[in-house]
Amino acid sequence: MRRFILFVPFIALTWSGWVSPALSPPPKSVPTLSAESQELFLPLRPNSVRFAVMGDNGTGHRKQYEVAQQMVGYRQKFPFEFVLMLGDNIYGPDTPLGFHKKFERPYKALLDGGVKFYAALGNHDDPNQCFYKGFNMNGRKYYAYTKGNCRFFALDSNYMDPEQLEWLEKELRNAGSAWKICYFHHPLYSSGRHGSATDLRTLLEPLFLKYGVNVVFSGHEHLYERIKPQKGIYYFTSGAAGHSRRGDIRKTGLTAAGYDQDLSFMLVEITGDELYFLSISRIGKTVDSGVIQRRVTSHVSELSGQLWLAAPIPDLPKRQIRKVEALH
Amino acid sequence: MKSRIWISCLLLCLCDEITFLLGAGTVRREPISEAGQVNEDTRLLKDFSDRVQAYVKLHKRLEASLPPLKPTPDPAKIVSHQQALAKKIQAARQDAKPGSIFTPDITERFLRLIRNEFQGPNASHARATLRQGEPVKIRLGVNAGYPKGVPLTTVPPTLLLNLPRLPPEVEYRIVDHELILRDIKANLIVDIIPKAIP
Repeated sequence: MRRFILFVPFIALTWSGWVSPALSPPPKSVPTLSAESQELFLPLRPNSVRFAVMGDNGTGHRKQYEVAQQMVGYRQKFPFEFVLMLGDNIYGPDTPLGFHKKFERPYKALLDGGVKFYAALGNHDDPNQCFYKGFNMNGRKYYAYTKGNCRFFALDSNYMDPEQLEWLEKELRNAGSAWKICYFHHPLYSSGRHGSATDLRTLLEPLFLKYGVNVVFSGHEHLYERIKPQKGIYYFTSGAAGHSRRGDIRKTGLTAAGYDQDLSFMLVEITGDELYFLSISRIGKTVDSGVIQRRVTSHVSELSGQLWLAAPIPDLPKRQIRKVEALH
Repeated sequence: MKSRIWISCLLLCLCDEITFLLGAGTVRREPISEAGQVNEDTRLLKDFSDRVQAYVKLHKRLEASLPPLKPTPDPAKIVSHQQALAKKIQAARQDAKPGSIFTPDITERFLRLIRNEFQGPNASHARATLRQGEPVKIRLGVNAGYPKGVPLTTVPPTLLLNLPRLPPEVEYRIVDHELILRDIKANLIVDIIPKAIP
Protein backbone atom coordinates (compact mmCIF):
# COMPACT_ATOMS: atom_id res chain seq x y z
CA MET A 1 0.00 0.00 0.00
CA ARG A 2 1.42 3.31 -0.99
CA ARG A 3 0.96 6.27 1.20
CA PHE A 4 0.58 9.71 -0.07
CA ILE A 5 0.88 12.82 1.91
CA LEU A 6 -1.81 15.39 1.39
CA PHE A 7 0.00 18.55 1.92
CA VAL A 8 -0.60 21.86 0.28
CA PRO A 9 1.63 24.62 1.52
CA PHE A 10 0.50 27.85 0.05
CA ILE A 11 2.92 30.56 -0.86
CA ALA A 12 1.36 33.90 -1.47
CA LEU A 13 2.62 35.92 -4.37
CA THR A 14 2.74 39.63 -4.62
CA TRP A 15 0.22 41.27 -6.87
CA SER A 16 1.71 44.05 -8.89
CA GLY A 17 2.98 45.73 -5.77
CA TRP A 18 -0.50 46.31 -4.35
CA VAL A 19 -0.36 43.60 -1.76
CA SER A 20 2.54 42.87 0.48
CA PRO A 21 3.78 39.28 0.41
CA ALA A 22 2.37 37.02 3.07
CA LEU A 23 2.60 33.36 3.89
CA SER A 24 -0.49 31.29 4.36
CA PRO A 25 -0.65 29.10 7.42
CA PRO A 26 0.47 25.51 6.84
CA PRO A 27 -2.21 22.82 7.04
CA LYS A 28 -2.87 21.74 10.61
CA SER A 29 -3.36 18.08 9.85
CA VAL A 30 -1.57 15.83 7.39
CA PRO A 31 -4.00 13.05 6.48
CA THR A 32 -2.76 10.00 4.66
CA LEU A 33 -4.68 8.02 2.09
CA SER A 34 -4.13 4.94 0.08
CA ALA A 35 -4.07 5.04 -3.68
CA GLU A 36 -2.98 2.95 -6.59
CA SER A 37 -2.18 5.01 -9.65
CA GLN A 38 -3.80 8.15 -8.39
CA GLU A 39 -2.16 10.94 -6.52
CA LEU A 40 -4.02 13.64 -4.70
CA PHE A 41 -2.87 17.02 -3.56
CA LEU A 42 -5.90 18.58 -1.95
CA PRO A 43 -6.19 19.73 1.66
CA LEU A 44 -9.48 17.94 2.52
CA ARG A 45 -10.34 20.53 5.11
CA PRO A 46 -13.49 20.07 7.18
CA ASN A 47 -16.64 21.71 5.75
CA SER A 48 -14.90 22.64 2.53
CA VAL A 49 -16.86 22.81 -0.75
CA ARG A 50 -15.71 19.92 -2.94
CA PHE A 51 -16.68 19.37 -6.52
CA ALA A 52 -15.56 18.00 -9.86
CA VAL A 53 -15.65 19.81 -13.20
CA MET A 54 -16.07 18.20 -16.59
CA GLY A 55 -17.00 19.41 -20.04
CA ASP A 56 -17.95 17.96 -23.41
CA ASN A 57 -18.36 14.59 -21.81
CA GLY A 58 -21.43 13.12 -23.52
CA THR A 59 -19.89 11.03 -26.28
CA GLY A 60 -20.65 7.57 -24.94
CA HIS A 61 -17.20 6.46 -26.09
CA ARG A 62 -14.95 4.13 -24.14
CA LYS A 63 -12.69 7.02 -23.09
CA GLN A 64 -15.59 8.86 -21.49
CA TYR A 65 -16.17 5.78 -19.35
CA GLU A 66 -12.50 5.69 -18.42
CA VAL A 67 -12.61 9.30 -17.26
CA ALA A 68 -15.75 8.49 -15.30
CA GLN A 69 -13.90 5.59 -13.67
CA GLN A 70 -11.11 7.93 -12.61
CA MET A 71 -13.70 10.25 -11.09
CA VAL A 72 -15.18 7.35 -9.15
CA GLY A 73 -11.71 6.35 -7.95
CA TYR A 74 -10.80 9.85 -6.87
CA ARG A 75 -14.05 10.26 -5.02
CA GLN A 76 -12.96 7.57 -2.59
CA LYS A 77 -10.12 9.84 -1.53
CA PHE A 78 -11.72 13.18 -2.24
CA PRO A 79 -15.44 12.82 -1.54
CA PHE A 80 -16.78 15.54 -3.81
CA GLU A 81 -20.49 16.23 -3.55
CA PHE A 82 -21.34 17.58 -6.95
CA VAL A 83 -20.13 17.97 -10.51
CA LEU A 84 -20.22 21.02 -12.78
CA MET A 85 -21.07 20.01 -16.35
CA LEU A 86 -19.79 22.54 -18.86
CA GLY A 87 -22.01 21.62 -21.79
CA ASP A 88 -22.19 19.14 -24.65
CA ASN A 89 -23.71 16.82 -22.12
CA ILE A 90 -25.27 14.53 -24.73
CA TYR A 91 -23.82 14.48 -28.24
CA GLY A 92 -26.21 13.37 -30.96
CA PRO A 93 -29.96 13.09 -30.62
CA ASP A 94 -31.48 13.29 -27.13
CA THR A 95 -32.99 9.81 -27.09
CA PRO A 96 -33.61 7.90 -23.87
CA LEU A 97 -30.87 5.50 -24.99
CA GLY A 98 -28.51 8.43 -25.47
CA PHE A 99 -29.12 9.66 -21.91
CA HIS A 100 -28.50 6.15 -20.65
CA LYS A 101 -25.33 5.49 -22.64
CA LYS A 102 -23.80 8.94 -22.34
CA PHE A 103 -24.76 9.92 -18.81
CA GLU A 104 -26.58 7.44 -16.61
CA ARG A 105 -24.31 4.46 -17.26
CA PRO A 106 -20.86 6.08 -17.18
CA TYR A 107 -21.63 8.03 -14.01
CA LYS A 108 -23.81 5.37 -12.34
CA ALA A 109 -21.49 4.88 -9.39
CA LEU A 110 -21.40 8.63 -8.75
CA LEU A 111 -25.17 8.99 -9.14
CA ASP A 112 -25.74 6.04 -6.83
CA GLY A 113 -23.35 7.67 -4.36
CA GLY A 114 -25.55 10.76 -4.22
CA VAL A 115 -23.37 13.02 -6.35
CA LYS A 116 -25.39 15.77 -7.99
CA PHE A 117 -24.66 16.97 -11.51
CA TYR A 118 -25.38 20.61 -12.36
CA ALA A 119 -25.35 21.07 -16.12
CA ALA A 120 -24.87 24.03 -18.42
CA LEU A 121 -25.98 23.73 -22.04
CA GLY A 122 -23.52 23.31 -24.91
CA ASN A 123 -24.05 23.83 -28.62
CA HIS A 124 -24.67 20.09 -29.04
CA ASP A 125 -27.38 20.07 -26.39
CA ASP A 126 -31.11 20.32 -26.92
CA PRO A 127 -32.33 23.04 -24.51
CA ASN A 128 -35.06 20.61 -23.39
CA GLN A 129 -32.33 18.86 -21.40
CA CYS A 130 -33.20 21.40 -18.72
CA PHE A 131 -36.20 19.18 -17.87
CA TYR A 132 -33.99 16.17 -17.20
CA LYS A 133 -33.73 15.74 -13.43
CA GLY A 134 -30.26 14.22 -13.64
CA PHE A 135 -28.92 17.61 -14.72
CA ASN A 136 -30.59 19.54 -11.86
CA MET A 137 -31.54 22.48 -14.06
CA ASN A 138 -35.11 22.49 -12.82
CA GLY A 139 -36.55 23.45 -16.20
CA ARG A 140 -34.30 26.49 -16.59
CA LYS A 141 -31.63 27.06 -19.23
CA TYR A 142 -29.65 29.20 -16.78
CA TYR A 143 -29.79 29.17 -13.01
CA ALA A 144 -27.87 29.77 -9.80
CA TYR A 145 -27.34 27.85 -6.57
CA THR A 146 -25.32 28.07 -3.39
CA LYS A 147 -22.92 25.58 -1.83
CA GLY A 148 -21.25 26.65 1.39
CA ASN A 149 -19.69 30.06 0.87
CA CYS A 150 -19.92 29.81 -2.94
CA ARG A 151 -22.57 30.97 -5.34
CA PHE A 152 -22.57 29.14 -8.67
CA PHE A 153 -24.05 30.57 -11.87
CA ALA A 154 -24.72 28.13 -14.71
CA LEU A 155 -25.21 30.15 -17.90
CA ASP A 156 -26.45 29.35 -21.40
CA SER A 157 -23.69 30.78 -23.59
CA ASN A 158 -25.36 29.49 -26.76
CA TYR A 159 -28.06 32.06 -26.41
CA MET A 160 -27.02 35.02 -24.30
CA ASP A 161 -30.09 37.17 -24.84
CA PRO A 162 -30.89 40.40 -22.97
CA GLU A 163 -33.21 38.53 -20.58
CA GLN A 164 -30.37 36.28 -19.44
CA LEU A 165 -27.99 39.21 -19.05
CA GLU A 166 -30.52 41.06 -16.93
CA TRP A 167 -31.10 37.95 -14.84
CA LEU A 168 -27.35 37.47 -14.36
CA GLU A 169 -26.78 41.05 -13.29
CA LYS A 170 -29.59 40.83 -10.75
CA GLU A 171 -28.32 37.51 -9.42
CA LEU A 172 -24.73 38.72 -9.16
CA ARG A 173 -25.80 41.94 -7.48
CA ASN A 174 -27.79 40.05 -4.87
CA ALA A 175 -25.29 37.23 -4.34
CA GLY A 176 -23.96 37.51 -0.84
CA SER A 177 -21.53 34.61 -1.05
CA ALA A 178 -17.81 35.05 -0.69
CA TRP A 179 -17.05 33.16 -3.90
CA LYS A 180 -18.82 33.80 -7.18
CA ILE A 181 -18.22 31.11 -9.76
CA CYS A 182 -19.68 31.21 -13.27
CA TYR A 183 -19.66 28.36 -15.72
CA PHE A 184 -20.88 27.99 -19.27
CA HIS A 185 -19.89 26.30 -22.49
CA HIS A 186 -17.93 28.83 -24.58
CA PRO A 187 -14.64 30.09 -23.09
CA LEU A 188 -14.12 33.85 -23.00
CA TYR A 189 -10.38 33.26 -23.27
CA SER A 190 -8.96 30.27 -25.08
CA SER A 191 -5.93 29.08 -27.01
CA GLY A 192 -7.86 26.21 -28.55
CA ARG A 193 -9.01 25.77 -32.14
CA HIS A 194 -12.23 27.72 -31.62
CA GLY A 195 -10.48 30.59 -29.88
CA SER A 196 -11.87 33.11 -27.41
CA ALA A 197 -15.56 33.94 -27.49
CA THR A 198 -14.90 37.65 -27.81
CA ASP A 199 -18.47 38.68 -28.62
CA LEU A 200 -19.69 36.99 -25.46
CA ARG A 201 -16.79 38.49 -23.56
CA THR A 202 -17.81 42.05 -24.41
CA LEU A 203 -21.08 41.46 -22.55
CA LEU A 204 -20.09 39.15 -19.70
CA GLU A 205 -16.69 40.43 -18.62
CA PRO A 206 -17.94 43.86 -17.49
CA LEU A 207 -20.52 42.13 -15.28
CA PHE A 208 -17.91 39.73 -13.90
CA LEU A 209 -15.65 42.64 -13.00
CA LYS A 210 -18.41 44.82 -11.63
CA TYR A 211 -19.76 42.14 -9.30
CA GLY A 212 -16.53 40.39 -8.39
CA VAL A 213 -16.77 37.03 -10.12
CA ASN A 214 -13.78 35.03 -8.99
CA VAL A 215 -13.48 31.99 -11.21
CA VAL A 216 -14.97 30.96 -14.55
CA PHE A 217 -15.13 27.42 -15.97
CA SER A 218 -15.87 26.65 -19.62
CA GLY A 219 -15.70 23.77 -22.07
CA HIS A 220 -16.18 23.66 -25.87
CA GLU A 221 -12.46 23.18 -26.52
CA HIS A 222 -11.53 19.53 -26.05
CA LEU A 223 -8.54 20.22 -23.85
CA TYR A 224 -7.56 21.59 -20.48
CA GLU A 225 -6.31 25.15 -20.18
CA ARG A 226 -5.71 27.47 -17.28
CA ILE A 227 -5.60 31.02 -18.51
CA LYS A 228 -3.32 33.62 -17.00
CA PRO A 229 -5.52 35.77 -14.76
CA GLN A 230 -7.46 38.26 -16.85
CA LYS A 231 -8.29 41.49 -15.02
CA GLY A 232 -8.11 39.55 -11.78
CA ILE A 233 -10.38 36.69 -12.84
CA TYR A 234 -9.24 33.08 -13.22
CA TYR A 235 -10.49 31.21 -16.29
CA PHE A 236 -10.33 27.45 -16.78
CA THR A 237 -11.29 25.45 -19.85
CA SER A 238 -12.02 21.81 -19.10
CA GLY A 239 -13.71 20.37 -22.16
CA ALA A 240 -12.05 17.01 -22.51
CA ALA A 241 -14.13 14.61 -20.42
CA GLY A 242 -15.56 12.90 -23.51
CA HIS A 243 -12.79 13.19 -26.04
CA SER A 244 -9.66 15.23 -26.64
CA ARG A 245 -7.86 16.81 -29.55
CA ARG A 246 -4.11 16.42 -29.41
CA GLY A 247 -2.07 19.47 -30.23
CA ASP A 248 -5.02 21.85 -30.10
CA ILE A 249 -3.45 24.37 -27.74
CA ARG A 250 -1.97 27.15 -29.85
CA LYS A 251 0.61 29.63 -28.63
CA THR A 252 -1.42 32.67 -27.69
CA GLY A 253 0.24 34.06 -24.62
CA LEU A 254 -2.93 33.37 -22.67
CA THR A 255 -1.96 29.96 -21.31
CA ALA A 256 -0.75 29.60 -17.75
CA ALA A 257 -0.99 25.81 -18.01
CA GLY A 258 -2.46 23.47 -20.53
CA TYR A 259 -2.92 19.84 -21.44
CA ASP A 260 -4.15 18.51 -24.77
CA GLN A 261 -2.60 15.05 -24.88
CA ASP A 262 -5.49 13.11 -23.41
CA LEU A 263 -8.90 13.44 -21.81
CA SER A 264 -9.18 15.17 -18.45
CA PHE A 265 -11.42 16.50 -15.69
CA MET A 266 -10.93 18.70 -12.64
CA LEU A 267 -11.28 18.44 -8.90
CA VAL A 268 -11.80 21.60 -6.85
CA GLU A 269 -11.87 22.28 -3.14
CA ILE A 270 -12.84 25.63 -1.68
CA THR A 271 -12.10 26.33 1.90
CA GLY A 272 -12.39 29.82 3.31
CA ASP A 273 -10.60 32.16 0.93
CA GLU A 274 -8.66 29.44 -0.85
CA LEU A 275 -9.58 27.48 -3.95
CA TYR A 276 -7.47 24.39 -4.65
CA PHE A 277 -7.66 22.76 -8.04
CA LEU A 278 -6.34 19.68 -9.78
CA SER A 279 -6.64 18.73 -13.41
CA ILE A 280 -6.42 14.99 -13.88
CA SER A 281 -5.94 13.01 -17.06
CA ARG A 282 -7.83 9.91 -18.18
CA ILE A 283 -5.10 7.69 -16.78
CA GLY A 284 -5.07 9.44 -13.42
CA LYS A 285 -2.10 11.74 -13.79
CA THR A 286 -2.25 15.21 -12.33
CA VAL A 287 -1.54 17.56 -15.22
CA ASP A 288 -2.02 20.85 -13.40
CA SER A 289 -2.66 21.92 -9.86
CA GLY A 290 -2.62 25.01 -7.79
CA VAL A 291 -4.35 27.20 -5.31
CA ILE A 292 -6.07 30.51 -5.78
CA GLN A 293 -6.33 32.91 -2.92
CA ARG A 294 -9.33 35.13 -2.65
CA ARG A 295 -8.16 38.37 -1.12
CA VAL A 296 -10.34 41.19 0.03
CA THR A 297 -8.47 44.43 0.31
CA SER A 298 -9.75 47.89 0.90
CA HIS A 299 -7.52 49.73 -1.53
CA VAL A 300 -8.35 48.04 -4.80
CA SER A 301 -11.94 49.01 -5.31
CA GLU A 302 -11.39 49.14 -9.06
CA LEU A 303 -11.24 45.35 -8.98
CA SER A 304 -14.45 44.99 -6.98
CA GLY A 305 -12.49 44.86 -3.77
CA GLN A 306 -10.89 41.52 -4.53
CA LEU A 307 -7.45 40.51 -5.49
CA TRP A 308 -6.17 37.19 -6.56
CA LEU A 309 -3.00 35.30 -5.99
CA ALA A 310 -2.20 31.98 -7.50
CA ALA A 311 0.64 29.61 -6.95
CA PRO A 312 1.31 26.12 -8.18
CA ILE A 313 1.39 23.50 -5.48
CA PRO A 314 5.12 23.15 -4.86
CA ASP A 315 5.04 19.46 -3.98
CA LEU A 316 3.85 18.40 -7.41
CA PRO A 317 6.36 16.02 -9.00
CA LYS A 318 8.17 17.58 -11.93
CA ARG A 319 7.17 14.88 -14.39
CA GLN A 320 3.56 15.86 -13.87
CA ILE A 321 4.03 19.47 -14.74
CA ARG A 322 6.28 18.94 -17.74
CA LYS A 323 3.51 19.70 -20.17
CA VAL A 324 2.56 22.78 -18.23
CA GLU A 325 6.09 24.11 -18.37
CA ALA A 326 6.37 23.36 -22.06
CA LEU A 327 3.41 25.55 -22.73
CA HIS A 328 4.56 28.53 -20.75
CA MET B 1 -65.52 48.33 -84.98
CA LYS B 2 -67.29 48.07 -81.64
CA SER B 3 -64.76 45.54 -80.39
CA ARG B 4 -61.85 47.83 -81.40
CA ILE B 5 -63.35 50.63 -79.31
CA TRP B 6 -63.68 48.26 -76.36
CA ILE B 7 -60.08 47.10 -76.70
CA SER B 8 -58.88 50.70 -76.92
CA CYS B 9 -60.83 51.56 -73.77
CA LEU B 10 -59.40 48.57 -71.96
CA LEU B 11 -55.85 49.44 -72.95
CA LEU B 12 -56.39 53.02 -71.80
CA CYS B 13 -57.65 51.83 -68.41
CA LEU B 14 -54.76 49.42 -68.11
CA CYS B 15 -52.24 52.18 -68.84
CA ASP B 16 -53.94 54.37 -66.26
CA GLU B 17 -53.71 51.62 -63.65
CA ILE B 18 -50.05 50.94 -64.46
CA THR B 19 -49.24 54.66 -64.16
CA PHE B 20 -51.05 54.77 -60.80
CA LEU B 21 -49.25 51.71 -59.48
CA LEU B 22 -45.87 52.97 -60.62
CA GLY B 23 -46.66 56.28 -59.02
CA ALA B 24 -47.60 54.59 -55.78
CA GLY B 25 -44.39 52.62 -55.94
CA THR B 26 -42.44 55.82 -56.42
CA VAL B 27 -44.15 57.39 -53.42
CA ARG B 28 -43.30 54.37 -51.25
CA ARG B 29 -39.66 54.53 -52.26
CA GLU B 30 -39.27 58.15 -51.24
CA PRO B 31 -36.93 58.52 -48.24
CA ILE B 32 -38.81 58.39 -44.98
CA SER B 33 -38.15 61.16 -42.50
CA GLU B 34 -36.57 60.26 -39.16
CA ALA B 35 -39.88 60.53 -37.33
CA GLY B 36 -41.55 58.58 -40.09
CA GLN B 37 -38.91 55.87 -39.81
CA VAL B 38 -39.48 55.64 -36.08
CA ASN B 39 -43.22 55.27 -36.63
CA GLU B 40 -42.62 52.68 -39.33
CA ASP B 41 -40.24 50.76 -37.08
CA THR B 42 -42.73 50.86 -34.21
CA ARG B 43 -45.45 49.59 -36.51
CA LEU B 44 -43.28 46.78 -37.81
CA LEU B 45 -42.15 45.82 -34.34
CA LYS B 46 -45.74 45.66 -33.15
CA ASP B 47 -46.73 43.66 -36.21
CA PHE B 48 -43.89 41.21 -35.56
CA SER B 49 -44.69 41.00 -31.87
CA ASP B 50 -48.40 40.36 -32.62
CA ARG B 51 -47.54 37.58 -35.03
CA VAL B 52 -45.14 35.95 -32.57
CA GLN B 53 -47.70 36.28 -29.78
CA ALA B 54 -50.34 34.66 -31.96
CA TYR B 55 -47.99 31.74 -32.53
CA VAL B 56 -47.16 31.48 -28.83
CA LYS B 57 -50.88 31.54 -27.99
CA LEU B 58 -51.36 28.57 -30.30
CA HIS B 59 -48.33 26.83 -28.76
CA LYS B 60 -49.69 27.33 -25.25
CA ARG B 61 -53.20 26.22 -26.16
CA LEU B 62 -51.96 23.03 -27.76
CA GLU B 63 -49.46 22.33 -24.99
CA ALA B 64 -52.22 22.73 -22.39
CA SER B 65 -53.92 19.69 -23.91
CA LEU B 66 -50.85 17.56 -23.10
CA PRO B 67 -49.69 16.34 -19.69
CA PRO B 68 -47.49 19.17 -18.34
CA LEU B 69 -43.75 18.73 -18.81
CA LYS B 70 -42.05 18.94 -15.43
CA PRO B 71 -38.48 18.04 -14.50
CA THR B 72 -38.32 14.27 -14.77
CA PRO B 73 -35.71 11.56 -14.36
CA ASP B 74 -37.18 9.83 -17.41
CA PRO B 75 -35.80 11.26 -20.69
CA ALA B 76 -38.51 9.37 -22.60
CA LYS B 77 -41.11 11.71 -21.10
CA ILE B 78 -39.21 14.75 -22.40
CA VAL B 79 -38.89 13.25 -25.86
CA SER B 80 -42.52 12.18 -26.06
CA HIS B 81 -43.72 15.60 -24.89
CA GLN B 82 -41.62 17.26 -27.57
CA GLN B 83 -42.90 14.95 -30.28
CA ALA B 84 -46.56 15.24 -29.22
CA LEU B 85 -46.38 19.03 -29.08
CA ALA B 86 -44.63 19.18 -32.45
CA LYS B 87 -47.31 16.98 -34.03
CA LYS B 88 -50.12 19.14 -32.71
CA ILE B 89 -48.50 22.37 -33.86
CA GLN B 90 -47.64 20.93 -37.27
CA ALA B 91 -51.24 19.84 -37.72
CA ALA B 92 -52.58 23.22 -36.65
CA ARG B 93 -50.17 25.05 -38.97
CA GLN B 94 -50.18 22.66 -41.89
CA ASP B 95 -50.63 25.55 -44.31
CA ALA B 96 -47.83 27.61 -42.77
CA LYS B 97 -45.53 29.12 -45.36
CA PRO B 98 -42.33 31.16 -45.13
CA GLY B 99 -43.24 34.75 -44.37
CA SER B 100 -46.15 34.15 -42.03
CA ILE B 101 -44.21 35.88 -39.27
CA PHE B 102 -41.27 37.35 -41.15
CA THR B 103 -43.43 39.27 -43.63
CA PRO B 104 -41.59 41.11 -46.43
CA ASP B 105 -41.69 44.39 -44.45
CA ILE B 106 -40.53 42.75 -41.23
CA THR B 107 -37.85 40.84 -43.13
CA GLU B 108 -36.55 44.07 -44.60
CA ARG B 109 -36.29 45.58 -41.12
CA PHE B 110 -34.53 42.47 -39.78
CA LEU B 111 -32.08 42.49 -42.68
CA ARG B 112 -31.20 46.07 -41.85
CA LEU B 113 -30.57 45.17 -38.19
CA ILE B 114 -28.49 42.15 -39.13
CA ARG B 115 -26.51 44.13 -41.72
CA ASN B 116 -25.72 46.75 -39.07
CA GLU B 117 -24.32 44.03 -36.84
CA PHE B 118 -22.28 42.31 -39.52
CA GLN B 119 -20.93 45.49 -41.06
CA GLY B 120 -20.45 47.46 -37.87
CA PRO B 121 -17.54 47.64 -35.44
CA ASN B 122 -18.53 44.33 -33.86
CA ALA B 123 -18.64 42.41 -37.13
CA SER B 124 -15.48 40.36 -36.62
CA HIS B 125 -16.61 39.23 -33.15
CA ALA B 126 -20.05 38.29 -34.45
CA ARG B 127 -18.58 36.30 -37.32
CA ALA B 128 -16.17 34.59 -34.94
CA THR B 129 -19.13 33.55 -32.78
CA LEU B 130 -20.77 31.89 -35.77
CA ARG B 131 -17.57 30.07 -36.66
CA GLN B 132 -16.99 28.92 -33.09
CA GLY B 133 -20.51 27.53 -32.91
CA GLU B 134 -19.62 24.79 -35.39
CA PRO B 135 -21.90 26.05 -38.19
CA VAL B 136 -23.98 23.55 -40.14
CA LYS B 137 -25.42 23.56 -43.65
CA ILE B 138 -28.80 21.93 -43.71
CA ARG B 139 -32.06 22.47 -45.55
CA LEU B 140 -34.80 23.66 -43.28
CA GLY B 141 -38.51 24.02 -43.88
CA VAL B 142 -41.15 26.04 -42.11
CA ASN B 143 -43.21 23.89 -39.72
CA ALA B 144 -40.61 21.12 -40.00
CA GLY B 145 -38.50 19.89 -37.11
CA TYR B 146 -34.96 21.07 -36.54
CA PRO B 147 -32.86 17.98 -37.35
CA LYS B 148 -32.16 15.97 -34.21
CA GLY B 149 -28.57 15.70 -33.15
CA VAL B 150 -27.45 18.66 -35.28
CA PRO B 151 -25.74 21.32 -33.16
CA LEU B 152 -27.53 24.60 -32.64
CA THR B 153 -25.37 27.42 -33.89
CA THR B 154 -24.55 29.96 -31.23
CA VAL B 155 -26.21 33.29 -31.95
CA PRO B 156 -23.88 36.30 -31.53
CA PRO B 157 -25.02 37.85 -28.27
CA THR B 158 -24.50 41.38 -29.53
CA LEU B 159 -26.89 40.59 -32.39
CA LEU B 160 -29.45 39.33 -29.89
CA LEU B 161 -29.22 42.69 -28.13
CA ASN B 162 -30.40 44.40 -31.32
CA LEU B 163 -33.13 42.02 -32.45
CA PRO B 164 -36.67 42.31 -31.07
CA ARG B 165 -37.12 40.39 -27.84
CA LEU B 166 -38.98 37.11 -27.92
CA PRO B 167 -41.20 35.25 -25.46
CA PRO B 168 -39.48 32.25 -23.82
CA GLU B 169 -41.23 29.72 -26.05
CA VAL B 170 -39.28 30.73 -29.17
CA GLU B 171 -35.74 31.75 -30.08
CA TYR B 172 -33.66 33.00 -32.99
CA ARG B 173 -31.07 30.70 -34.49
CA ILE B 174 -28.74 31.04 -37.43
CA VAL B 175 -28.29 28.13 -39.80
CA ASP B 176 -25.78 28.79 -42.55
CA HIS B 177 -27.02 32.15 -43.89
CA GLU B 178 -30.58 31.81 -42.68
CA LEU B 179 -32.16 33.32 -39.61
CA ILE B 180 -34.75 31.01 -38.16
CA LEU B 181 -37.40 31.42 -35.53
CA ARG B 182 -37.46 28.17 -33.59
CA ASP B 183 -39.99 26.74 -31.16
CA ILE B 184 -37.76 25.48 -28.35
CA LYS B 185 -40.01 22.91 -26.67
CA ALA B 186 -41.45 21.53 -29.91
CA ASN B 187 -38.14 21.80 -31.80
CA LEU B 188 -39.95 23.25 -34.81
CA ILE B 189 -38.98 25.86 -37.37
CA VAL B 190 -41.64 28.55 -37.05
CA ASP B 191 -40.36 30.80 -39.84
CA ILE B 192 -37.22 31.56 -41.83
CA ILE B 193 -35.49 34.57 -43.33
CA PRO B 194 -33.37 33.16 -46.14
CA LYS B 195 -29.97 34.74 -46.84
CA ALA B 196 -30.25 36.89 -43.75
CA ILE B 197 -26.60 36.68 -42.77
CA PRO B 198 -24.34 38.48 -45.23
